[in-house]
Amino acid sequence: MKKIVTDVAIIGAGSAGLSAAYQAATAGADVLVIDENSRPGGQLFKQIHKFFGSKAHQAGTRGYVIGEQLLEKVEKSGATVMLDSLVYGLLPDKSMGVISNGVNYSVKAKKIIIASGAKENYMAFPGSTLPGVMGAGAAQTMVNVNRVLPGERILMVGSGNVGLIVSYQLMQAGAEVVGIVEGAPKIGGYGVHAGKIRRAGVPIYVGHTIKRVYGREEVEGVEIAALDEKWNMIPGTEKQFDVDTVCLAVGLNPMTELVWMAGCKFDFIPSFGGHVPLHDENMETTVPGVYVAGDVTGVEEASSAMEEGNMAGVAAAEALGYISHEEAAEKKAEIRARLDTLRSGFFGAGRKANKEKQLADMQAYKDGMEKGAAC
Amino acid sequence: MNKDADVIIVGGGIIGCSVSYYLSKLGKQVLVLEREDLTRGSAGATDGVVGYHTKKPGKQLDLAVQSIAMFEHLSEELGMDIEYGLKCGGMQPVEDKMQWDILSGIVEEQKKSGVDIEMISAEEARKIEPMLSKDIYGALYSPTGGKVNPIRLTLAFSRAAKKLGARFLTETEVTGMIKEGNKILGVKTDKGEFYADAVVNACGSWAAATAKMAGIDMPIKPRKGQLIVTEPIGPFMDCTLQCARYNVIKFRPETIKDENVLRLGSSLSIEQTENGGLIIGGTRELVGYDRENSLEAIEAILKRAVRFFPALKDVCFIRAFAGLRPYTPDGLAIIGRVDCLEGFYMAAGHEGDGIALSPVTGKLLAEQIVYGKESYSLEPFSPNRFLKA
Repeated sequence: MKKIVTDVAIIGAGSAGLSAAYQAATAGADVLVIDENSRPGGQLFKQIHKFFGSKAHQAGTRGYVIGEQLLEKVEKSGATVMLDSLVYGLLPDKSMGVISNGVNYSVKAKKIIIASGAKENYMAFPGSTLPGVMGAGAAQTMVNVNRVLPGERILMVGSGNVGLIVSYQLMQAGAEVVGIVEGAPKIGGYGVHAGKIRRAGVPIYVGHTIKRVYGREEVEGVEIAALDEKWNMIPGTEKQFDVDTVCLAVGLNPMTELVWMAGCKFDFIPSFGGHVPLHDENMETTVPGVYVAGDVTGVEEASSAMEEGNMAGVAAAEALGYISHEEAAEKKAEIRARLDTLRSGFFGAGRKANKEKQLADMQAYKDGMEKGAAC
Repeated sequence: MNKDADVIIVGGGIIGCSVSYYLSKLGKQVLVLEREDLTRGSAGATDGVVGYHTKKPGKQLDLAVQSIAMFEHLSEELGMDIEYGLKCGGMQPVEDKMQWDILSGIVEEQKKSGVDIEMISAEEARKIEPMLSKDIYGALYSPTGGKVNPIRLTLAFSRAAKKLGARFLTETEVTGMIKEGNKILGVKTDKGEFYADAVVNACGSWAAATAKMAGIDMPIKPRKGQLIVTEPIGPFMDCTLQCARYNVIKFRPETIKDENVLRLGSSLSIEQTENGGLIIGGTRELVGYDRENSLEAIEAILKRAVRFFPALKDVCFIRAFAGLRPYTPDGLAIIGRVDCLEGFYMAAGHEGDGIALSPVTGKLLAEQIVYGKESYSLEPFSPNRFLKA
């Protein structure tokens, strides 16, 4: 087993991880970013659409361009990015087991930032294991990164931003989207995305769900049905479509395995994707020296992930003495202000409330520990 | 003073649950006290090898022969599928002449218990397990080796006992013993006091501390075993398999020269479970109550697995865990009455043999408690062997 020692080890080279790496390495820390994929950037290089938000968040810039810019900054910062490398374990002494191109490493870092992201939710229904049923994120990777069309006639389940954007991108890539099915009575995502879909003539079936997918060896068709107010299927409302692909855009959940292994305490916030680690304003968890950033802390979007990564990177560099408390405080205030902007407005309010609960629960945990220690 | 039960069993692991079932079967009112939950200790952190060939020749093996015979009808008797793989076979591939000679010697001793263990050629071994590496010297083989799901076995014992009236209190920690002179009256717990005619210490790796509460010194130490679980794959192997080093470390540790091997006790033990996942062990480490995995051990175990099954290099492992095995200095379990304290019984110290020996341990100890004499002598396992003044 080969040993690697570093100041900061970051798990995940996506939006959050790269941002954290840039901040910590720029401050002077020895930074190692580890990612299991063969390319860095996480989900950023799949995002061919323009981002929203303020100018500070590069509104109007396409996601992959933001990815390229971030990657360039990280390369200049001196951080090392280790690709095709899987962190398979995080032990109580904070050493990490990493397998990289067949070589087993033990990585020991003073600070660990877990930015492992989220994974797609799955949905079970008759036929859901047939080849041709896939996550919308997987379909997006196929068209935008691998340039392979997953199918020719596609039904999308879920009308959140992922369902809407991926539907549009599948159409741009040449597929026909026969419809979008949404269980709720109204569309989940932004109106601007839904408008593009509607203008392209794709029907959005709100208050509907998938009843079954059929086909012998692979998906040959799908049957949907309307839902009553108790989310039960209404008999007689079934509609059938000849499709070869069904995409599921039914939410994401944080990839928290390593965070659990590290022994961190958790919160349960359903609209953040379920169990999410407690963390403070510095993104530090209940285990000192272990930080989290991005979707692993609760599913949001790329811009917030980058800001959380910035925050974790600055905080880790500060804790290691690479930047003064004054300088760190200034940077953190700027990052916090940008995060507040991202978590405002109609769509951001829920996320803001979630994050406030998470921070408050962390504070309550800290207070409890102090009280316990005093007894 | 009202009696809460005829017998109190401390510990809700494989041994405590087995004893509770066989005592209930003989009509005793049983109360099991478990600090955490059933199977939270070693019963839930082990593989399920039930074979002759890993048992120490002599008394422990004789006991295993009786126990393994009981497994055949246990699922029906307990009314729950324990996933017993009857006669899947047990094998130990040998790497060189030295291992062959050592194992052959052990086999000769084991055969005295009338068991079907033999040494076979590499070709024969590969005929039985085609995935096995070509690079082996030969193998030990026992057609009667079996495997079981240890968690289901423990729960099956406890459920069958409950049906017969046994009570189980989980999240109940025994904190002391209630004695009068040299007689045990009951136990103190964090939920109050409980009284009974007899108390059984079935605390596995923690049994020494429980015995100490009764003023008795038992030389049981926790020995850590680390294991790895792979993703489920198609039919890969039938046998439960240990590399020859497993028995060499267990019975002839003095012949091992490599210090790292000795410290970790690293050898291969591998079996495929009913759902297709492989359970791969293992180590034997005397490191106190630490139940964490170490990167060093994981690497050692996986290297060993790929050494014997090269195809495993393309299989993902999904989980690692560690369990504590109750080690005794002479390698024999500690089962039976404690002469110097009336009503106090031991049922612990099985090290890695607890799952295999659980039915016979429960049955014979229950007979001893109820009838005063068991149908097959537990004398070699008596706790009194460690208590001679």
